[in-house]
Amino acid sequence: MKHKAPLLLLLAVGYGAVPLLLGANNYVMSMIVAALVIGGVALSWALLGNLGGMVSFGHSAFFGIGAYVSALLTVKLHVPVLAALPLAGLGAVAASVVMLPVLRLRGPYFALAILAYAHIFRILATEWSSVTGGAGGVAGIPSFPTVSGFDFGNKLGAYLIALTLVLLFAWVYARIRASYYGIALRAMHDSEDATRVVGVDSTLLKAAMLMVSAFIAGVFGAVNAHYINFLEPDYAFNASWVTLPIVAAIFGGYRTILGPVAGALVVYLADQLIFKTYMPTGHQLVLGVLLVLMIVLRPAGLLSLFAKKGGAHAGA
Amino acid sequence: MTELILQALYSGLLQGGSYALIALGLALVFGTMKVINLAHGELVLLAAYIAYQVESKGFGPMFAIPIALVVVCLAAVSVYFIVSRIKQDREINSLILTYGIGVILTNLILLVWHADVRSTSSTWLQEAFVVGPLYSMRSELIFFVVSIVLMAGLWWWLSKSWYGRAVRAVSSNRDAAKLMGIDPGKTELVSFIVAGVLAAFAGVALFSYGVIQPAYGGALTVKAFIITVLAGVGSIPGVLLGAVLLGVAEALTVTLASSALQELAGMGLFLLVLFVMPNGLFGAARRRG
Repeated sequence: MKHKAPLLLLLAVGYGAVPLLLGANNYVMSMIVAALVIGGVALSWALLGNLGGMVSFGHSAFFGIGAYVSALLTVKLHVPVLAALPLAGLGAVAASVVMLPVLRLRGPYFALAILAYAHIFRILATEWSSVTGGAGGVAGIPSFPTVSGFDFGNKLGAYLIALTLVLLFAWVYARIRASYYGIALRAMHDSEDATRVVGVDSTLLKAAMLMVSAFIAGVFGAVNAHYINFLEPDYAFNASWVTLPIVAAIFGGYRTILGPVAGALVVYLADQLIFKTYMPTGHQLVLGVLLVLMIVLRPAGLLSLFAKKGGAHAGA
Repeated sequence: MTELILQALYSGLLQGGSYALIALGLALVFGTMKVINLAHGELVLLAAYIAYQVESKGFGPMFAIPIALVVVCLAAVSVYFIVSRIKQDREINSLILTYGIGVILTNLILLVWHADVRSTSSTWLQEAFVVGPLYSMRSELIFFVVSIVLMAGLWWWLSKSWYGRAVRAVSSNRDAAKLMGIDPGKTELVSFIVAGVLAAFAGVALFSYGVIQPAYGGALTVKAFIITVLAGVGSIPGVLLGAVLLGVAEALTVTLASSALQELAGMGLFLLVLFVMPNGLFGAARRRG
């Protein structure tokens, strides 16, 4: 841990300054929670892209499945909310297992195949109405519970949960990247064939990254479901759940760990507070323009501007 | 029952014509530039909305074709110039880039023409055209013929004209083509323009016999992609066959199950081919990692 100071500052702002200064402002807190949820998905998307070398346009599938698994477990089987969160992650992992054959495909074929899967899952959620409630959706999803006197059911509670999960998964991501597997994955990025020759099972590693990524996206889908208490297929599997994280990750730099989260905070807040005010419909147009500009002008992300000056904890 | 199935086969065949045009555009660009244009479906949809606009001014949707050709080709050319600016990590970055362009186009369409579902109000186009026990709208038949003519033209162009042969040369070996004095950049541009032409016709066709809405573009790209997977890489008859297969699978699903599951049919077919014949039904090229 070379960069202790920025990390401590981050924790102080996240757990101290933000709740103290903004905790009472429900509107701003709800924006920040939503931004953190998108940041979590962006983190999982970037993990797959950075470590696995795969571009996914199907993360809305993992997000939606996580949301539905958690919602149905808590509403129909009365599973406690906090126990349902990891189960939601596992549900998304199960969905990713169905996708594993796609890993044989490379580049654009993988990206489009996973997009096709996202369509399939959305249709299933709509049509399998005996379980999912169909197009009408699931209502009355329980909020986060009160734990030892603190009510996690309100905006501040949801914020603390989302923030903690984002940091937890960022830590997991950092550990994976620093591990032996991380080195193998980075080598794979340079030459998959050469890495195979020295005895790395590249398909297995990519499968593992797909599962980790699916787990994270699924958990955030569940967090969002318990936060807004309502789900319908078109919402849970909406393409926004992949568009926004992609823009966030590209904006913040998808090869860094916290860049996508920082990107999500900036992009989502700008989208909701500025773009949406001036363009009630079609405000995602601006996000598309942002994405195109970033890829053409600075594919390494905006944070890369600061990284050169050293001390960028996001890249550590 | 047999009549229903025959009818589904017929409708699927007619639908396959426009699908093939869309898929061929996607495949041409992928051939020369090795880039999947994720905004391709949106280009098609743009043409469809131009047809809607022309019709709402009181003209037949057919008159939209020249305007759609100009607008869609200009859009395709812009996509080319943006994509060609990518220098590093072209494979990943071009996907994200064209995805972004797709988001832009979808939202532009949403802004200009709103979220409502649109379809043609021309009775002439929708009039029934009956062949024996088989029924279709007049527009379906017209555009099936148009797409066959376009494909014949494309085949002639690819095999006889200088630029068409350049497209094939760059597709099969970029470096060798360069040594033969072919400018790969120019050839890529040409492939984008031809893809735009095909997309323009396909879009007007879609509006003439179907319903359109702003979010439909992504689904069109996926359909085109599924067809290229079915067909393998390369031949025009292969793509047409793949497109008809997809059209028939969709039509049969609607007839035998429900229209909500229509999209699932294509996906099922796609996954089946992926597992059983990863090189496509008619292709031999390697795609596996």
